[in-house]
Amino acid sequence: MQKFLLTVDKISTFVGQVFSWLIVSLTFLITYEIFSRYALDNPHPWAFDAMLMMYGTLFMMSGAYTLSKNGHVRGDVLYGFFPPRLQAGLDLTLYIVFFLPGVCALCWAGYTYAAESWAIREYSSITSEGPPIYPFKTVIPVAGAFILMQGIVEMIRCGICLKQGYWPSRQEDVEEVDVDKLKEMVKVKDEDIAKLDQYATAKKGSDA
Amino acid sequence: MRKEVWFGLSIMAIVVGIVFWMMPPPSQMTNGHLGLLMLAMIVIAIMLGFPTAFTLMGMGTMFTFFFYRSVDPSTAVVRTLDLMVQRAYGVMNNDVLVSVPLFVFMGYLVERANLIERLFKSLHLATSAIPGSLAVATVVTCAVFATASGIIGAVVTLMGLLAFPAMLKAGYSIRISAGAVTAGGTLGILIPPSVLLILYGATAGVSVVQLYAGAFFPGILLATLYVGYNIAYAKLVPSAAPPLPEEDKRVKLPKFAEVLSRTHRNVMAGLVGALKGKRNADVPLRTVVNHLIIALLPVAASGLLLGSIYLSITAPEYVVPSELQEMGLAVMSEEQIEGLMEPEDAEKTEAKEPSAYSRPEETAEVKPVDEQKEEVAPGERKPAPTGFWITVGIFAAGLAVFYAIFTFARLEIFKMLLGSFFPLALLILGVLGTIVVGLATPTEAAAMGSFGGFVLAAAYRQLNFSRVKESVFLCAKTSAMVCWLFIGSAIFAAAFALLGGQEIVNNWVKSLDMSPIQFMLLAQVIIFLLGWPLEWTEIIVIFMPIFIPLLSYFNIDPLFFGLLVALNLQTAFLSPPVAMAAFYLKGVAPPHVSLNQIFIGMMPYMVIQVIALVILYLFPAIGLWLPSLVYQG
Repeated sequence: MQKFLLTVDKISTFVGQVFSWLIVSLTFLITYEIFSRYALDNPHPWAFDAMLMMYGTLFMMSGAYTLSKNGHVRGDVLYGFFPPRLQAGLDLTLYIVFFLPGVCALCWAGYTYAAESWAIREYSSITSEGPPIYPFKTVIPVAGAFILMQGIVEMIRCGICLKQGYWPSRQEDVEEVDVDKLKEMVKVKDEDIAKLDQYATAKKGSDA
Repeated sequence: MRKEVWFGLSIMAIVVGIVFWMMPPPSQMTNGHLGLLMLAMIVIAIMLGFPTAFTLMGMGTMFTFFFYRSVDPSTAVVRTLDLMVQRAYGVMNNDVLVSVPLFVFMGYLVERANLIERLFKSLHLATSAIPGSLAVATVVTCAVFATASGIIGAVVTLMGLLAFPAMLKAGYSIRISAGAVTAGGTLGILIPPSVLLILYGATAGVSVVQLYAGAFFPGILLATLYVGYNIAYAKLVPSAAPPLPEEDKRVKLPKFAEVLSRTHRNVMAGLVGALKGKRNADVPLRTVVNHLIIALLPVAASGLLLGSIYLSITAPEYVVPSELQEMGLAVMSEEQIEGLMEPEDAEKTEAKEPSAYSRPEETAEVKPVDEQKEEVAPGERKPAPTGFWITVGIFAAGLAVFYAIFTFARLEIFKMLLGSFFPLALLILGVLGTIVVGLATPTEAAAMGSFGGFVLAAAYRQLNFSRVKESVFLCAKTSAMVCWLFIGSAIFAAAFALLGGQEIVNNWVKSLDMSPIQFMLLAQVIIFLLGWPLEWTEIIVIFMPIFIPLLSYFNIDPLFFGLLVALNLQTAFLSPPVAMAAFYLKGVAPPHVSLNQIFIGMMPYMVIQVIALVILYLFPAIGLWLPSLVYQG
């Protein structure tokens, strides 16, 4: 079972990471466009559409990746203090109550929306002679499907946690605040921090 | 159970209580009441800890369906789906939110350029003469670094590793050290370019350009208040922030500087003396010339600045509308004030003219006048206003003082600042400047900023594939988090509006018969209280749409309201129990520093934030002056 969960994690991560490189192309596209507009006096009307498409695809396709790394923002007032079983029970309930209807609806709605766009071969109307827009609209159901798949995996995780009393492990990934890496970056070791304790304890008498 | 759990549960109980108090009996329930019920449910659901984006999405979908079913059961499903996908597609096509991933990406790149250590060291040496210098340097480092990177967690952690030990070792109390690190780190929320302001702009339909222009001075004000507090505290309670010992203040001089400083204390005298070839036996000429160039940079920079200002304000009349934006701000204000005070002075009225005509819609009218003038004196430069020469005088005096006290030790500090502080400041001001002046849209400026992040990382030899890869992946996760939250809230807001919950809130608020000031205070208090259990992203995307429609009723500028909200939400980072800054610091602090000590350290800063809020409220010009200037020009 664990193997299946990790495989789905890997798929979501792979897809998300592939699409996350769009940020680099987005950066360079816009930078080049500015250069082209001001220095070469040659603006491209499609640049605006391209920019929106890159951004939209980037964040939609990273949704499942973020979910697989537990990266969607949670209200953390109570959750962190709950025991794992309660966390899993609440999560499972709310996945069924909120996640499934919402994301299923998004998938289905996205599918018909994209299908209509494909049927008429829709082109962007932001600028005249805009680029085709139907591939971009297709992103909605595809991203929805990935996030639904990842959500089902998360629900299974909740079930496992309910049974065994602790959360099953996840794949490691780059963290926003990776304390060990930051320590290495500024060359601070754990001993140094431990040594500092003398200042903290010495102060306590007068300070607290 | 832990007291935090009780805190959370009691908030839930309060929400439930309010709902029961406000709800009419079930027989009189309308759709609008259903909307209010939905709002209460969302608060509870968020507090249960389920990912907010999906909570919003699911609840929005359900309630939209309820509404459409009550209208017409046969088409309910189709209409719900249509609404959902259109809202989602709207977020994907939102040209304001495009800048979110770009600014986030810039932040990760800058963070990984590993500038913070140098920045802190150089600022620490530069401020060593001030009381509480380490705390001051911490706040300034945080302000600059948090502004450029915008990643609160990383900034607080890094400063907790660098500045916190340094302060403890220097004998600072835990309170003041912890307060400086946590409060300083959260400044990045307010000072633009910040993601919070983009989100507010996207929610409230306020231009991000105006928000950025408006938040700049309040941000500076807050940072200044922090610095002032630290200095005052160190002066009043020297035992909590003792001055540094002499050997820590001393800068190690390179060899050539040691040789030269034996004969001359002042850099200019020393370098020029060495150039003449008198005492340069063991000092290579190259070093001397290089350092002379570095030492002359301030003159060159101010010359360049004043020169360009001179060129733009004395430029022949016909180019005025476009050139006006490039004027130095300080000069502009002086010029305006003087022009208004002494209207009889012919020279000054002429100088005032461009600012009076600077509204875009009037330029068409003005043109013929300009052309006439051009005929009279084609291409001739106007005399510069007195205000400009006063500024030149101030600059000259400043430079003279600077060079008079410019010792070799200070030259070293200056070199360090040049390598750490100025590139970051330049990046921030470059990004902001192009937005505010109107050369680039926020999105374009964000992309340029990301590009600048690349350049910065490359310049510090920190650019390698694994770092870029990390930044890319982190950026994708953060953007997905923010933008999916936005999709959720867009669907939720649609449902809330459909059900007419907004109507009820509006009517209720209007029936209270409040004055605008009372409403403003109430809104700020509510946001402040919401900041305790919730995070700022949730407050912006869920609760702002409820407040915004009421602003026009009370005649409140949404821009000004946004600035107050941004300032207010800073406290959300410092208010327990969800004070993230405190937890990040605790993660790297020595084990005997307790969370409570950190919380106590943060308290004065929360008070300062409230004071800043009051100051901004009393003097709205702090926030609104720059945007109005931009929009005139």
